[in-house]
Amino acid sequence: MIKFILRRIAVAIPTLFILSVVTFFLMHAAPGGPFNSERPLPASVMANINAKYGLDQPLWQQLFTYLKGVVTAFDFGPSYKFKDRTVNDIIAQGFPVTLTYGFWSFIVATVCGISLGVAAAVRHNSFLDYFAVGISVGAQVLPNFVMAPLLLWLFTLTLGWLPGGGWDGGGFKNLVMPVIALSTSYMASIARLTRSSMLEVLNSNFIRTARAKGLSNTKIIFSHAIKPALLPVISYLGPAFVGMITGSVVIDTFFSTGGIGQAFVNSAFSRDYSVMMGITILVGALTITFNMVADILYAWIDPKVRL
Amino acid sequence: MLITDKILGDKLEGAEVAGRSLWKDARRRYLRNKAAVFFTIVLILIALFTVFGPLIAVTDHETIDFSMIGRAAQSGQPSISNGHYFGYDDQGRDLYSRVIQGTWISLLVGVVGAAVAVVIGTLYGAIAGYFGGRVDSIMMRIVDILMAIPFMFVLILLLVTFERSIAMLFVGIGMLSWLGMARIVRGQTISIKNKEFIEAAQASGVGSFTIILRHIVPNLLGVVTVYATLLVPEMILTESFISFVGLGVQPPDTSLGQLINVGAGNLHYGTIWQFLFPLGFFVVLIFSLFFVGDGLRDALDPKDR
Repeated sequence: MIKFILRRIAVAIPTLFILSVVTFFLMHAAPGGPFNSERPLPASVMANINAKYGLDQPLWQQLFTYLKGVVTAFDFGPSYKFKDRTVNDIIAQGFPVTLTYGFWSFIVATVCGISLGVAAAVRHNSFLDYFAVGISVGAQVLPNFVMAPLLLWLFTLTLGWLPGGGWDGGGFKNLVMPVIALSTSYMASIARLTRSSMLEVLNSNFIRTARAKGLSNTKIIFSHAIKPALLPVISYLGPAFVGMITGSVVIDTFFSTGGIGQAFVNSAFSRDYSVMMGITILVGALTITFNMVADILYAWIDPKVRL
Repeated sequence: MLITDKILGDKLEGAEVAGRSLWKDARRRYLRNKAAVFFTIVLILIALFTVFGPLIAVTDHETIDFSMIGRAAQSGQPSISNGHYFGYDDQGRDLYSRVIQGTWISLLVGVVGAAVAVVIGTLYGAIAGYFGGRVDSIMMRIVDILMAIPFMFVLILLLVTFERSIAMLFVGIGMLSWLGMARIVRGQTISIKNKEFIEAAQASGVGSFTIILRHIVPNLLGVVTVYATLLVPEMILTESFISFVGLGVQPPDTSLGQLINVGAGNLHYGTIWQFLFPLGFFVVLIFSLFFVGDGLRDALDPKDR
């Protein structure tokens, strides 16, 4: 087990390194520097600015300094657009917001998805089953960028119950729409996965044995069937988490929640390369860590996985 | 004896009658799937609409009716009589033409993304799976690494660094589309490569790449077709996501994601048709593609029946 974990970490570190190097060179391959403007600055001013941000050094040295800062001090450097703010400031401002609605969406998607899937499998071919299948098929065409406007139209413009955007420190009313918009399609996928694997488990021999022993239905479902049935769901949690972080790009731009996605898109439009790079690396690190944790969890729960 | 002979004879006779190829068999199964057939027809109608729809449009997607700017909410409603079937957008352009253009771009992105996945992913996966050993583990480790990268962010980074153009969007989407395909094809190749017909080819001195191209790839076509069809809606979703944020296709061209975004942004002006028409096309398109993909999987993958 420990060897397996170490091996996964050994793959994760070069991945992150490659991501950092690729984003770094992408940033520097961009035509025109970050300080180009309509009116060209005098050469001496440009030289000063370049010296201040270390842009006059050879590229590999810049890369080294940057990576050293990120690894040793968790320092993503200064923002190119806002003189008084560092990338860390911008991330520290947006990240808690994204984590808050991301966390709630994740909870809603897994809890509702699993319950719906299990219920549908247990009541196979009942109305509940068809309802669950209908929802999960329908939600395929309702990704976050379709859900968000639909919710806004319903709750804000038609019913007038919820504010159309803003964050307000994470108030309940501001959380409802982002969480529903983000979680719907993942809830549907989790429900579908749970349903099909639960159906498979319920038809397997050991469940038949449990029934023959005379165990109650509740006991069979909760202490025998649910654990193996949730295995495929665990491997889906990694991608789901990544999807939620990525979805923040849409949620933030649409509901003006001010999370990390908004910072990313804003910096994309103003070509604030250092902010883009910092966020990409941070999200990459999170993605890789989360996938790794999901893998380890899977191997830990499923004895059939070869370590 | 007689009875077994008869049964055997019946079986043989049956086998002769049933001498169908994999594709004939699959077609028969597909045509029996009513949902799949229905959505295939819907898909064909949408494709025909993007080709022939412009013929009855009054103006193309970039012509601006200056008298309409800022008045879309009052007098830009959808109307059959003036030829603007889907109404005007907020800048006085014909929404009918724009929806056609958006649908066309979305279809194009989906098909190109899937095509890249088919070509690169199939070859990559087949090579990795066929050679095995160290080649395989290095090639698949690269796929693992690329898959762990948050692609939406890198794609946006790419679009910002280089030109925000359709070509760049294709490059970026093509870059991420082939990874899953490579994995699936590799798995399938490993299960094929130890079959007798490959051994026979090897024994008669056929080169490795000829074996891959002539004997392995044709046997992968079923899996590849299914996966490619399911990739098309995924690519469209990716493109719509990027365009929704405003980083995708650039004006005056448009795509469904962008039209949905603009329509959604104008909802509070009461111009709901600007939202509903692109949304309707998007939903129907994605829905049809999923059903066609599902139908193909049921038809081509006998295990799942």
